[in-house]
Amino acid sequence: MAKIKRKGQTGAAKNYITRTQAVKKLQLSLPDFRKLCIWKGIYPREPRNKKKVSKSSTASTTFYYTKDIQYLLHEPLLQKFRDQKVLEKKISKALGRGDVSDAARHERNAARPEKTGKPRYTLNHVIRERYPTFVDALRDLDDCLSMLFLFANLPSTSAVPAKMIARCERLCLEFEHYLIVSHGLRKSFLSIKGIYYQATIQGEDILWLVPYKFNQRILGDIDFRIMGTFVEFYMTLLSFVNYRLYTSIGLKYPPKFDQLKDDMGGELGAFAIEGVNIATDDATKAVTNGDVAHGVDPKVQAEVDKVVRQLKSDPSNVDQEMEDVTADVDGEEKPNDAIDKFEPVAPGGDILPQPSSSSNDPAELFSQFTFFLSRETPRQPLEFILRAFGCKRIGWDSVLGEGSFTTDESDPSITHQIVDRPVIQAATKEDGDGEDNQTSQKLNQRYPGRVYVQPQWVWDCVNDDELKSPELYAPGASLPPHLSPFVRSTNGQYDPTLPLEAQETEAEALDADLADDKEAEDEEEDENDMDIGSANDDSEEEDEDDVDVEEDEEEGSEDEDATLQRQRELEAEIAGKAVPSKKVDAKTKSKLDAKKALEKKAKEEAEDLERAKGMLSKKKRKLFEQMQYTNNKKSAEDVKLRSKRRKLEKEKSKA
Amino acid sequence: MPVLKPPTGNPDGPQQYKQPSRKGKKAWRKNVDVSEIEQGLDQMNDEIILTGGVIAEKQSEDLFMVDVAGDASIAQKFPKHIKKGLKAEEIISKRSAVPAVPMRKRAGESKTTDGVLPVKRLRATYVNQKELRRLKKVADGQHEESIAIIEADHDVWATPLENPDAEKYTFLKLAEKAKAPKTMKEQPLSLAANGKSIPAVITPKGGASYNPVFTDYQERLAEESAKAVEAERKRLEALEAERIKLEASARSAAEADAAEARANMSEWEEDSEWDGLGSGGEELSTKAKRPQRKTQVQRNKIKRRKEEERKAKAAALLKKKNAQAERIKQISEEVAEKHRARELEKIELDDEDEEGDEDKLRRRQLGKFKLPDKDLELVLPDELQDSLRLLKPEGSLLKDRYRSMLVRGKVEARRNLPFHRQAKKQITEKWTFKDFVI
Repeated sequence: MAKIKRKGQTGAAKNYITRTQAVKKLQLSLPDFRKLCIWKGIYPREPRNKKKVSKSSTASTTFYYTKDIQYLLHEPLLQKFRDQKVLEKKISKALGRGDVSDAARHERNAARPEKTGKPRYTLNHVIRERYPTFVDALRDLDDCLSMLFLFANLPSTSAVPAKMIARCERLCLEFEHYLIVSHGLRKSFLSIKGIYYQATIQGEDILWLVPYKFNQRILGDIDFRIMGTFVEFYMTLLSFVNYRLYTSIGLKYPPKFDQLKDDMGGELGAFAIEGVNIATDDATKAVTNGDVAHGVDPKVQAEVDKVVRQLKSDPSNVDQEMEDVTADVDGEEKPNDAIDKFEPVAPGGDILPQPSSSSNDPAELFSQFTFFLSRETPRQPLEFILRAFGCKRIGWDSVLGEGSFTTDESDPSITHQIVDRPVIQAATKEDGDGEDNQTSQKLNQRYPGRVYVQPQWVWDCVNDDELKSPELYAPGASLPPHLSPFVRSTNGQYDPTLPLEAQETEAEALDADLADDKEAEDEEEDENDMDIGSANDDSEEEDEDDVDVEEDEEEGSEDEDATLQRQRELEAEIAGKAVPSKKVDAKTKSKLDAKKALEKKAKEEAEDLERAKGMLSKKKRKLFEQMQYTNNKKSAEDVKLRSKRRKLEKEKSKA
Repeated sequence: MPVLKPPTGNPDGPQQYKQPSRKGKKAWRKNVDVSEIEQGLDQMNDEIILTGGVIAEKQSEDLFMVDVAGDASIAQKFPKHIKKGLKAEEIISKRSAVPAVPMRKRAGESKTTDGVLPVKRLRATYVNQKELRRLKKVADGQHEESIAIIEADHDVWATPLENPDAEKYTFLKLAEKAKAPKTMKEQPLSLAANGKSIPAVITPKGGASYNPVFTDYQERLAEESAKAVEAERKRLEALEAERIKLEASARSAAEADAAEARANMSEWEEDSEWDGLGSGGEELSTKAKRPQRKTQVQRNKIKRRKEEERKAKAAALLKKKNAQAERIKQISEEVAEKHRARELEKIELDDEDEEGDEDKLRRRQLGKFKLPDKDLELVLPDELQDSLRLLKPEGSLLKDRYRSMLVRGKVEARRNLPFHRQAKKQITEKWTFKDFVI
């Protein structure tokens, strides 16, 4: 006979453990248990049948895997929590006795592990445990960065101590510095929530969200203990990730941090980035912000002249020297074009494909320009993005903080100024006082030889990887819409950024051409039988456009054409004449033929599809039909949008 | 009797022994009876002479003495073999004048210092109020920082995972580390309706732009407004349901009242029967018909009918069985088809989107408490500006992040407890004011 099985000895009852049981097993308090679970990455689970798991009559709500909890027993951090508990007891005992100084002594000693001989607990070992490889860590960086950037922008309260905020901010700025040096930033998006950034590090796309400044309210319904625990973990993680990233490109970590500059709002400028080996590498890769004199230095000019002469004389071996010279002249690190080689961490690790460098190097996008940020623009994101895309010299109003290239708006070296102010109209009244006029003039003052743009220009340039025309983004101009760079455009979808030719289907293009031809003919006819209600013509054209959109009617007209042709042939036969060919020029005819061929092809495809559909099961067929229906609806909408645009463009070209 | 007596004669003054009243000549001083006082004085004089003073006026030291020697007779009463105390106590009591070497290492007592002299203060052990408050917090389990966050000083990923020395030193058996179970690597439970894992940061759609394309914005606005309308409809429905419920309960209560009232009434009606007003129902009862004996023909007929019925039943049963047997095949086919369809659907869903949707959550929640609702992240049409400066950011990122953690199943939802539950206090009046006596 088989062994008698007892209830609650095998299966779900053994595999899962309730939270209360877990807490009791680990001898922790519930908040400590929560913390430990967050740090170690132990998540609540859901058994298939809750009743089979718990033996108690009351419904338990949270379950964990028993094995996970068993593994937690080996965690050194557990000892930390127990030590803390002991300390709490000692202090409360001393306070209960009324011996406050004794309580203070206990507390003080616990804070000095070097005196007590007890170890200081960190999360360092957890990092490696949870992210065995560096790529694993990069994959989880989305959440980490979003959290830390958020906390860096919070006001300090009792729940969020100022120390934590300062540390978050520092780590975030260090990470930004890495992206600036490595030119890893790819895209950015201004949303209503905050600013999204996307960077590519070692082939991994990392997306994070940064809040706008001074916007975060502390809400009551958020558990800051839990958030704080996450932040503690993520701070450790980002610190290690930063270390790895910095050392991978030969920089020293941590970078030198100037507290004084930071206090004055230096932000990115408060860090001085150095190479690992300072003795050999003379180029301190600090954010110099163009500390070189920005007038024309005679020495530099001489050098340049020399180079030019050399260029003219001997084009072969100039390149090398030229690079040297520019490096010397600028006193700055030349953009690091070399792409990181991805060697597998362990032998047998995955080797990532090497990305091919695109024609538009992100490191070069803004490298030629000097920017000036007006005081109403958001400095932090602009500075970060501009620097990450190669800009070396950024000036801003002194209101925006320390570390600017120049605070003088009238500096002649400035090529671009970012303005987010509407153009102020001067009082147009006759008796308008001169003072008002003057202020408006002062506010609207424009320096010649400088491009004025709104902030969105920077984002659109970055996302499209090209310099957009600044006229569209001029101050006071109504801006083109800011599109999300993260939306993958599906095939055939209407995309307002692309020109019509790039996105319309063949059939549509042909239709449009034909319609154009027809119109031209009509116009000729109109010219023939002079001024017959040209006003009606437009409306007719519009009708025609509408007809173009509807395919069914199109088919109908096609049929009509065919019947007409047949009739003509019949008539000719009866009369014994040759078939009268419809008077069409060759161009139109070829187009018509192409159209016919296209239609034929479409018909064949549809038939094939119908046949294939017959093979499917009923349920699958239904699903497929549903899908097709929605797709058709969407594409019809796209076609409509495109036709609308075509019409608009035509009108524009006419006018 | 007085010790000293005058040589002769009666020293007493003239006496008048009976003094019934103090009025009149008889109450004169010379006539007062002072014999009692005289006697007392004599006694005192005697005492002074005999003992050297009045006892009442003497100090207690003069009267008593401390007996230091003790009573010698007590020792004789007890036997000698009973020891005075425990041996341990005896040993302990033998203390050395030199203090013992401390066995425990006490924190902060090491002789090495950092060279900075401590600030001399008047009250070295004084703890100010702020510090005390902090200590109380720590005693309550609210530590400022539970772990040390140290600046990274090495590359954690630089060393290989396995110990390289493991193969080198085979003669030493290395302590085996606890292996992490496989369950640790399982992804947390996603709360999305389709069960797919939700990304930490969801890629924003075009409608989320601060300066969106009209079509995107319109789509988003329609979507959000449909959601709001739906929520409002649900709210109204709930209200209506509540109202109906209340009404029904009120009605049933009214009915119950009415029934009770009727019951009360019926008691009176019963009385009315006594008055001869009752209905005449009892008089209408008819006589039951007596069954007649069945004839043989009838019996045969019944038999035949019963036989036929049985046969028909059997045939129907057989037919049903056959039909069911035929259906078995069909059912098995249907089941197989269903199974296939489900699998296909699964595959298709996989193809459609590899990410879970944050908005469409599953019904079964994790933990006891409900997820907080998502903030409405939409700039209304009249607030839509195309300037970054004028943008009013919508939604709370803090809440968004918190919710993201919950939705991804990293932690379970918690109820917000702004403060600890206080002990319940019952306020009563003291009744002592009634305890008085006139």
